[in-house]
Amino acid sequence: MNGANKPTLVIPGMEKGLRVDSRVLEERIQKAVADGHRSLEIIAQGQHGIGGRLWRAGNETVQIRVMGTSGQRLGAMGFPNTVIDCVGPASDDVGWLNAGARIVVRGNATNGAGNAMAQGQIYVAGDIGARGMTMTKHNPRFAPPELWVLGGVGDSFAEFMAGGHAVVCGHGVERERSTLGYRPCVGMVGGKIFFRGPCPGYSDTDAVLGAVDDEDWRWLTTGLKAFLAAIDRTGLYKTLTADRTQWQVLAARRPHEKHHGPSRSLPQFLREVWEAQLGAGGLIGDLTDLDRSPVDVIPTGDLRRFVPVWENEKYLPPCQAHCPSGIPVQKRWALIREGNLSEAVDLALKYTPFPATVCGHLCPNLCMQHCTRQTANLPAVDVTLLGRASLEAVPPEPDRPTGKKIAVIGGGPAGLSVAWQLRLMGHEPVIHETGPRLGGKITETIPTSRIPDDVLDHELARVEGLIHHVRKPVTRKGFDELKKKYDFIVVAAGARKPRMIDVPGRERAEAALDFLRRSKAGKARVGRTVVVIGAGNVGCDAAAEVARLGAESITLIDIQAPASFGKEREHAEAAGAKFLWPRFTKTMTKDAVELTTGEVLPAETVIVAVGDQPELGFLPEGVARERGFVAVDARGRTSDPQVFAVGDAVRPGLLTEAIGAGRTAARAIDALIRGREETFDQLPPIESERVKHVYFNAGADGFASVTACAASCASCGACRDCGLCEQICPEGAIARRDPGDGTFAYEADAARCIGCGFCAGACPTGVWRLAENDPLE
Amino acid sequence: MEPMGRIDPSTLSVRDLPWQVLWNRETCTLCGKCTAVCPVQAVELAVHRKRVVTAAVGLAEKPSQAVGLYHGIRQRTDAAHACVGCGMCTLVCPNGAIAPAHSDEADKLRFHVQQGGEPRRRGGRRNDPRSLLDAIKFVRISMLTDPALDAGRHEFELRTLLGRILPPEEILKVTKENGWVPPVREIYPLVIGSMSFGALSPTMWEGLQMGVAYLNEELGMPVRICTGEGGCPPRLLRSRFLKYVILQIASGYFGWDEILHALPEMQEDPCAIEIKYGQGAKPGDGGLLMWYKVNRLIAAIRGVPAGVSLPSPPTHQTKYSIEEAVAKMIQSMAMAWGFRVPVYPKISATSTTLAVLNNLTRNPYAGGLAIDGEDGGTGAAYSVSMDHMGHPIASNVRDAYLNLVKVGKQNEIPIFAGGGVGKNGNLAANAAALIMLGASGVQTGKYLMQAAAGCLGSEHDRCNICNVGRCPKGITAQDPRLYRRLDPEKVAERLVDVFKGFDTELKKIVAPLGRSTSLPIGMSDAIGIADGHAAERLKIKYVV
Repeated sequence: MNGANKPTLVIPGMEKGLRVDSRVLEERIQKAVADGHRSLEIIAQGQHGIGGRLWRAGNETVQIRVMGTSGQRLGAMGFPNTVIDCVGPASDDVGWLNAGARIVVRGNATNGAGNAMAQGQIYVAGDIGARGMTMTKHNPRFAPPELWVLGGVGDSFAEFMAGGHAVVCGHGVERERSTLGYRPCVGMVGGKIFFRGPCPGYSDTDAVLGAVDDEDWRWLTTGLKAFLAAIDRTGLYKTLTADRTQWQVLAARRPHEKHHGPSRSLPQFLREVWEAQLGAGGLIGDLTDLDRSPVDVIPTGDLRRFVPVWENEKYLPPCQAHCPSGIPVQKRWALIREGNLSEAVDLALKYTPFPATVCGHLCPNLCMQHCTRQTANLPAVDVTLLGRASLEAVPPEPDRPTGKKIAVIGGGPAGLSVAWQLRLMGHEPVIHETGPRLGGKITETIPTSRIPDDVLDHELARVEGLIHHVRKPVTRKGFDELKKKYDFIVVAAGARKPRMIDVPGRERAEAALDFLRRSKAGKARVGRTVVVIGAGNVGCDAAAEVARLGAESITLIDIQAPASFGKEREHAEAAGAKFLWPRFTKTMTKDAVELTTGEVLPAETVIVAVGDQPELGFLPEGVARERGFVAVDARGRTSDPQVFAVGDAVRPGLLTEAIGAGRTAARAIDALIRGREETFDQLPPIESERVKHVYFNAGADGFASVTACAASCASCGACRDCGLCEQICPEGAIARRDPGDGTFAYEADAARCIGCGFCAGACPTGVWRLAENDPLE
Repeated sequence: MEPMGRIDPSTLSVRDLPWQVLWNRETCTLCGKCTAVCPVQAVELAVHRKRVVTAAVGLAEKPSQAVGLYHGIRQRTDAAHACVGCGMCTLVCPNGAIAPAHSDEADKLRFHVQQGGEPRRRGGRRNDPRSLLDAIKFVRISMLTDPALDAGRHEFELRTLLGRILPPEEILKVTKENGWVPPVREIYPLVIGSMSFGALSPTMWEGLQMGVAYLNEELGMPVRICTGEGGCPPRLLRSRFLKYVILQIASGYFGWDEILHALPEMQEDPCAIEIKYGQGAKPGDGGLLMWYKVNRLIAAIRGVPAGVSLPSPPTHQTKYSIEEAVAKMIQSMAMAWGFRVPVYPKISATSTTLAVLNNLTRNPYAGGLAIDGEDGGTGAAYSVSMDHMGHPIASNVRDAYLNLVKVGKQNEIPIFAGGGVGKNGNLAANAAALIMLGASGVQTGKYLMQAAAGCLGSEHDRCNICNVGRCPKGITAQDPRLYRRLDPEKVAERLVDVFKGFDTELKKIVAPLGRSTSLPIGMSDAIGIADGHAAERLKIKYVV
């Protein structure tokens, strides 16, 4: 149907004095178009959406002339075939969702002009209100939409504009006012805005301001001609195009061009603002010059929190630390591991004259009691093998003679030890012994079952070969002479006076030491039934001896749990001795011991073993005593500076304690003679937790030989030079240093070490320790 | 020597500890990084024995055994070296061979921590992940009822006021009479809560300050930070950045003579003065900075000699009543800056909050009240104080606000709420909930340590060793070896990100309520909770 010939149809918005409803007006317009009208004149009375949706005309152009007062959304959803000419102003949302119509508004338009339009043109001969050109689109299938405004636009222009062109000519806009209103382009993602005049602010995040280039200028001037023609203002063309520099263009930033936030980066801020205001070093640059620059989480060098320390031999091995004689047990095993068996054996004689007798046979071996292997339920390294092997030891060469003479009163273990040490130090000790043999209680009272004669004889011969002794009892008067004749006197007279219990019939009992002495000399005889009063180690020795001599019933009684232990106890038990406690003796009859409990123990022989005391009648009053023993300081010196005392005369104890006391006293005397300060400080023992026995075979340990023993020694606190630390170090920081003088050391290179502590964790001997690094401030 | 197989009452196995270090022998390369980095030396290299017994089928051959050794990572079990779960080992492990895992039952270590009679102390938090604030929903979304705002498009002025706000009639009168108008600051509603120089490492402290300055000067966000009780570096006191700082005074008064000495040289007034009476994490308990932490730097800033212990008693020494405490302290502090600086007290949330608040309403110099709830954090406290002392913040703030409403002063004395804001990561939602319950603003600390510095602490007793100065991230350490792990510039960068993110989230919450230029303080019709009792107690909507 060709409706071009039909006359313009006038559709009034008022009818009989009443406003035509928007719905009715729309129906009439659509009907007119459907009827073939292509030119309509609407006398509007504020009706909604005039001129939109006229698709019924197909490709034929429909001219809509709007007189009167247009309502909201003039030309909304307009089609490309539609041309709307609004002779007055337009209300909100002119051209809303415009899909191709050309809409000319000869006055101003209010808010929302062009909102969401996708095609077509809107020409506004005046100004527009807020939120113009918002949410516009550019569909690539069609030409982009255009909004031309002769004057200026209101606030929030082009929000979320996603395409099309807006041209704001700024004509007639007061100088101080922004052509583009307040804060245009928020959320703009597409299209361009050409404008003439001031624009103090826009969303910089979304849009970028630029000059109009040649191509745009051609488009702009061409479009401007059409715009001005449409609104009958061609006369302005010259003015508007006179100066291209009056025009600027705001284009949407592409996604990758979007930028947020201020221009200054934080590093820039730090330099240009922070330090400029506060000074170099920032907040506390004036208070500290400590380096505060960032560091790695796993640093090396000074920045390590922990550092490994190679504490080789900084602690004593527990065996040595607990040996009263001070024998370096571990060092001897180390020598054997190195193949120096004879050196290991000989070394003992520097510490004791009785390595075989005591270490090998008689000592309860405190070294073994403290062997760390036991923490891992492993048997202690058997030092008795090494002790017995020391029978063949060769004594060291004594030092150059000093000519200093020391009288040693008593030739027992303590006296022999002090004399032995003094002799090795180059002095001249002379032992004054009353008994027939040297050796004290070892030779006199300890049963042969515990110490073979050949071992004891061999070691005594070795001592006698080196030390001079006289067989002479010392009297009170003799003591004074000794003081004049000798530089020092050492009292090592032992405790030979048995203590007796105060009960009726006590005279029929024999003291244990007397009995043992007679027994050892082959002169003792005992009855079938024996009671030993006092179940300590001496009592046990006596029990073993009476069994050897034929006793059938042996009972040891004690007022408390027996203090006996070790081989003495074992031997007594093996002899079938019974132990009774707590028992108190009431009386001793001719053939029995009666107890306060009423028990009567048959006893053809009664032996009392409740301890012994020294006989100190030869000592002058000037030498202080304590409870019947000689009082000494830690070095064995008595209240008389010239007199020392050691062994059981000072305190009853083990053989090794007597030997150790002798060595201490000898060192103290030597220091006095040589005028040198000797400290008796000794290193603390290493903590057993540091030693790792897991490296040693739990099952297969047998101590068949000294070499097997040596191999099983963990070398607590002393580097075995195994090189494991070099291998375990993840940074390769640990190296063995060998200065060529026979020593060696392991060192961690601070430049590579990260302080992980792997060396300490792996070290079999506990030499490496991870220590806290020194504080940096 | 005794075998090591013996046990005592406090002998624990790995299983008894809160954290088990899972180590994979197959993937471990024995690089040593885990043992080097562990803050408590919970892991160490150990030698292990491996025995393999071989027997042939049908016993055709004589059975045999082979014993071998291998080295591996072992977890220590004594209390002093119990794994704290920080996960630094996992962070540094190149092969993913090691990670702490939380025990699936209550640990036994807790029964043995009081070795020597000293109960457990720690840093961190209450270790209770529950959060009432998280349960509060914003139920009033403006759809067609009133114009909804677009958080992305609208311009927002999310600011709050700190200081005493006079009612209109009074301000007219005062202005007419040329009288004294109390100082009021327009600030960002998320305030960085008090964390002292000393509690925090120098790098952390500077990072936060730098970030705050950046937020103010580059982004125009008036964010404020409270110093905590540990003084303030002299340079900061004399810089223009001081205006972003709330200076705190507490019972130890550390650093205050230095602050006074700086008065003549100050370019700017500080934002405000906070008088600390209590801390939510350890109400009623004081603090003690041990002498070995008082290095030269901290000593200089606090105005004390290095190497002395610094006690902050639980109470101020010269205050014996609310009236006296509040009146005396507020007056003194206000006087120091010629009554140009708002002064307000901070208390731990308590059932006696209203007594304090009522007192403040009668004191013309009181610039607000900060209330710190039980979920607040601390650098060091007794566990019992952290876990069992204190009052939840939500009902406390609500009571306080409704009380102000009752006396008609809800727009005059701002309440700032803190303690567990964002404890589960919901910083903006928690803050908005507190604001709608009646807070004018919120204070946060722990969230920022986590977000801006990578604090590893969690509500499940992870890490929490701030008190011993071994913070593996360098946030609370005073040892340069640790605090240099933290780059202040990066902290500042993160802080800026956090505040920008928070800002957007807050807008997303308030825009649908139609608010853009005024905070919805006390807008309780906008919130609801699916817990009838909580709804009734807080006088908000019960929504299911």
